Amino acid sequence: MESLEALVAHIQGLSGSPEEVAHLHSLLKQADGDSLRAHAAALVPFLAHLSPETHSLGYLYLLEACATSGSNLSEFGGGDFLVTIAGFLTACSADQIRLAPDKFLNVCRVLKDQVMQLNMPIRGIAPLRTAVRKIQSSPEQLTPVHADYLLLCLLAKQYKAGLSILEDDIFEVDQPKDLFLYCYYGGMIYIGLKKFPKALELLHNAVTAPMSMLNAIAVEAYKKYVLVSLIVNGQVPSFPKYTSVSAQRSMKNHAQFYVELSTSYSNGRYTDLETFVQANSATFQSDNNLGLVKQVLSSMYKRNIQRLTQTYLTLSLEDIARSVQLETPRDAEMHVLRMIEDGEIHATINQKDGMVSFHEDPEQYKSVEMVEHIDSSIQRLTALSKKLASIDENMSCDPAYLMKTGRDRGRFDGRFDYDDYDSVPHKFF
Amino acid sequence: MSAPSDAAPAVSAPAPTTTAAASSGGFTFKLHPLVIVNVSDHHTRVKAQAACSGDSSSSSSAAGAGAGAGQPPRVFGCVIGVQRGRTVEIFNSFELVLDPVSGTLDRAFLEKKQELYKKVFPDFYVLGWYSTGSDVHDTDMQIHKALMDVNESPVYLLLNPTINLSQKDLPVTIYESELHVIDGSPQLIFVRSNYTIETVEAERISVDHVAHLKPSDGGSAATQLAAHLTGIHSAIKMLNSRVRVIHQYLVAMQKGDIPVDNSLLRQVSSLVRRLPAMESQKFQDDFLMEYNDTLLMTYLAMFTNCSSTMNELVEKINTSYERPTTRRGGRGAFM
Repeated sequence: MESLEALVAHIQGLSGSPEEVAHLHSLLKQADGDSLRAHAAALVPFLAHLSPETHSLGYLYLLEACATSGSNLSEFGGGDFLVTIAGFLTACSADQIRLAPDKFLNVCRVLKDQVMQLNMPIRGIAPLRTAVRKIQSSPEQLTPVHADYLLLCLLAKQYKAGLSILEDDIFEVDQPKDLFLYCYYGGMIYIGLKKFPKALELLHNAVTAPMSMLNAIAVEAYKKYVLVSLIVNGQVPSFPKYTSVSAQRSMKNHAQFYVELSTSYSNGRYTDLETFVQANSATFQSDNNLGLVKQVLSSMYKRNIQRLTQTYLTLSLEDIARSVQLETPRDAEMHVLRMIEDGEIHATINQKDGMVSFHEDPEQYKSVEMVEHIDSSIQRLTALSKKLASIDENMSCDPAYLMKTGRDRGRFDGRFDYDDYDSVPHKFF
Repeated sequence: MSAPSDAAPAVSAPAPTTTAAASSGGFTFKLHPLVIVNVSDHHTRVKAQAACSGDSSSSSSAAGAGAGAGQPPRVFGCVIGVQRGRTVEIFNSFELVLDPVSGTLDRAFLEKKQELYKKVFPDFYVLGWYSTGSDVHDTDMQIHKALMDVNESPVYLLLNPTINLSQKDLPVTIYESELHVIDGSPQLIFVRSNYTIETVEAERISVDHVAHLKPSDGGSAATQLAAHLTGIHSAIKMLNSRVRVIHQYLVAMQKGDIPVDNSLLRQVSSLVRRLPAMESQKFQDDFLMEYNDTLLMTYLAMFTNCSSTMNELVEKINTSYERPTTRRGGRGAFM
């Protein structure tokens, strides 16, 4: 084990070109381990000698040794250490750190823990955001840093900061836990921003992700999923075919109250729903869903007004108030006005005689913007379709799949048809 | 010669090949597609009949004149049409019987046929004869000379049935006979002539119909929609290339590489001024609405396609990775 000075000298010397960096990497791997951590306290002054951009790999190793050394980080002047880590994350070079991804992830986690311990989640947001971008090999990859980053955004109530990460479509996932956490936190951020359709999408992903055993994140996600789908659609759809079997069987048992809430919602009576919510507010509170449940209540009005548009062409405000069980026509007018502004219904309010007339969707599809809109959707769909086709092909060659289908056929026929020769794996012959 | 020795009278007009036309006669040949279809039909029929009637007989008779081992039998026939001045227009054709032994045409048959056709088409004369094969045979000159008493300068139309399908030119050549001095003695030899294809409206429709029945590039465009779209695509491609030619020409003229031609410029400017045909708000609205409709339909089609792929994928994943609760057939669960 080389002495620290020699190691630092190596780092400084060998950080030029990619070959040197690879050489450095192997050196560092040798030097890595508990021995480095044991010297953790001594490492800090050395860090000052190294620059995060050019010596990213070496810096990373030393930093990680310090960070995971287990000793109290306040020894290093906790606040300063945080700044060090943050500075490193912002300044490091992406190519070099990709050589040691797990160490990088460790450093990020330490940052997050620190920040949460200090109760200042907002300090971790900017560095983690750059960290996410740097460790991703492509914008479609999901990393553990995503989940941590979203958690910090939630705690700091900086929902907009989370948006930039959430907008990317994810196609590659390494760890299932990352996916669950990402979808759950992402859904919560969208709820915070009141973008319920997107929240619904993410929570749906969390609920229908493949899982061999039911996990707690999925159950929590399901509870919120029920509430958000009530707000958006007015009903909770049944489990699609790609939900895992374990989820289908046991999910509803864990979310009893929510299922009952959805049934009473579908009855359409505001007062019933209100009494139910009051009765069970303790449960909702413990799940931290009370705010969401209150939004479900208010969405009940919207649902009923929307139902009215399908029956009537014009309606007076008193009638609306009466059928939707609002107290006064004033309330009804406010609700309708808000809905018109949000674009949820198309109507005009005639203030003179208090009549509301409902219209059809005025979109005529004759603008150039619509052309571009549809065109971009088609492009996205083409790209998605290509991806799906390639995944489908991979799936067809998957040995697990072939074994199951080949087995079926073998059972049914007893002997192998020569017609099936192509799809049955050769080992059966 | 193998059994079917009918000479299919297909005097097809010579394809406008790019090789130098040796003909100096100055005749302009116009060929109708009907003739080409007739010849190819005759040839195909004969070939099919020969194949059916037994390989042994055809192989033994393959040693006969004209056929050649392993080659499809040659067919012969007569072509008829109109000759006006220097323009020879070949309208129709009929089949002839060739005597396999002597290699001469059956005159009686020829005359009978001629008479019948005269009744229906009084204007048409026998202009020459046709045959199939890859190149001119030596025996052909005899037949050609034999026909010279019917028409003093007959044409010989040759259809090459072994042509590569990917080639774009018609495998049809028209030969005339000319007196050339070779080795001191005057001889009749075949010289190639150029021709053009001339169609009547009825012919165009039927050729179109036949062309679309069978996909020309190996059956890739199996559906009508795909064929239609391919047609539109090639039309647009051609339009694009023509416009590009004009554009290049104008650019060159602007740079000064080509001398300025005012009459051409006037034509181009009148062409340009014809567009856009319409420019009103209502037109824009309707046009965009229709455009959006088509886009929406495409979107819907893609959506359906994508959903079906997704569905299949989900099925596959479910069969391979999910512990089944109930299975069709049920036996898999016991494994």
